[in-house]
Amino acid sequence: MTSSRFRVGIVGWGAYIPVYRIKAKEIARQWGFDDRVTDSIWIEEKAVAGADEDTVTMGWYAARSALLRAGVNPGDIGAVFVGTESKPYAVKPSSTIIADALGISAKKLSTDLEFACRAGSEGIRISVSLVESGAVRYGLAIGSDTAQANPGDVLELTASSGAAAYLVGPADESVAVFESLVTYVTDTPDFWRRDGSRYPAHGEGFTGEPAYFHHIVSAVKMLMNESGLKPSDFDYAVFHQPNGKFPLQVGRMLGFPREKVLPGIVTPWIGNTYNASALLGLAKILENSKPGQRILVAPFGSGAGADAISVLVTDKVLERVGKAPTVEELIARKKYISYAEYAKFRNLIHRNLW
Amino acid sequence: MKHSISIFWRLKDNHYKIYVTKCGDCGRVAPLKRLKCPYCGSRNVEHIESRGFGELINYTVSYYRTEGSEQYLPRVVGLVKLDEGPVIIGEITDVDLNELSIGTRVEAVLRKYSSEDPNGLIYYGLKFIPVIKK
Ligand SMILES: [Zn+2]
Repeated sequence: MTSSRFRVGIVGWGAYIPVYRIKAKEIARQWGFDDRVTDSIWIEEKAVAGADEDTVTMGWYAARSALLRAGVNPGDIGAVFVGTESKPYAVKPSSTIIADALGISAKKLSTDLEFACRAGSEGIRISVSLVESGAVRYGLAIGSDTAQANPGDVLELTASSGAAAYLVGPADESVAVFESLVTYVTDTPDFWRRDGSRYPAHGEGFTGEPAYFHHIVSAVKMLMNESGLKPSDFDYAVFHQPNGKFPLQVGRMLGFPREKVLPGIVTPWIGNTYNASALLGLAKILENSKPGQRILVAPFGSGAGADAISVLVTDKVLERVGKAPTVEELIARKKYISYAEYAKFRNLIHRNLW
Repeated sequence: MKHSISIFWRLKDNHYKIYVTKCGDCGRVAPLKRLKCPYCGSRNVEHIESRGFGELINYTVSYYRTEGSEQYLPRVVGLVKLDEGPVIIGEITDVDLNELSIGTRVEAVLRKYSSEDPNGLIYYGLKFIPVIKK
């Protein structure tokens, strides 16, 4: 199954979705939006982190599941990267807290990466290169976010919380091997948050065509050209999911039939988990995949850039799915909360203490 | 009451992990890292990291305000019987007070203990939630 030309793969993966959900229509009602707004972008509900959760705690859970599935000694992990746009500290790495809490050795590279929603996938690309060069045996790449949205902004319907983690290592230990990886990035003013600002802003007219669609289409076409692969060679295609509609639309533009894109879509039920978005979709696919299947994953981050990554599933995937909670189990585990509880959990209510 | 940066950092390993002590002589397992077996006094002991799973055997609800953790109130403080045997104290989170029940299977997760907003440190450590994977 694992051809010798592939040297690096995914040894373990993990997911985390907080238990709390708020219905998108409840947010819409709060601000007087028409109900059709939520239907037009296909968002049902979104996951909300509890008051004692953040990027570090969610990233820890996903990473621990990746280690449980991989069954490796934490001391052999030589790099830990956290891709996030909701760092609990402006200065002080999240990655070192997660690494220490998991018992990963001090002898490692470790940093937080920021590139809107695709810093986690850049962490995967860096880990692949480190493993391939022999610099480290395993690299841990985490995408985790408690995404902020200005209350009343249309982004509030989707901006949610979640995490995904991938342990990258030698191909012969992997559940899926990396076949081909490319990245396409430019300077695009589609979405940003200034230092010290609580909420992001978006450049009207830039978010769709010039940002999401242009970058994903360019990255995937580059991968097809370089690898000689065609959409028909893939069993599944997973894209970044700012909402439920965009991934289906970009799949259509690239020639992927709906049935290859739908299985990797998670946003309508958990919201846009930013750095975890496409990576949770990939985790869900891996958990339902068969050895020999080929998966395309294309994360996108504003600013802007997209990755296109092709992986081939090995027979090791089957024995590792059950060792930690699956994406489907995490989606099914939920408690509904009101807008008021959501506002309390996400620190939108300001009160004097003492 | 605030956490002390230095005390918390020195005990970091005990906030991030749950350890138990297994006696090589009488075979019993005690909570925490110990130099001697509390049951037979033997020094022939081994420190084991708990997998973090167990059962809620009792709990109380606390409304006591501690600085930096006001937004987590009320807090549920539970007694958890670990699968490895010992009973330890831990905070139970992600639960509604009206659905709490003794006998619930729980697992340890990393959460915020307190957060000195907006300029101070965030203190992380293990709490318990109802198990995700049934
Ligand atoms: Zn003893």
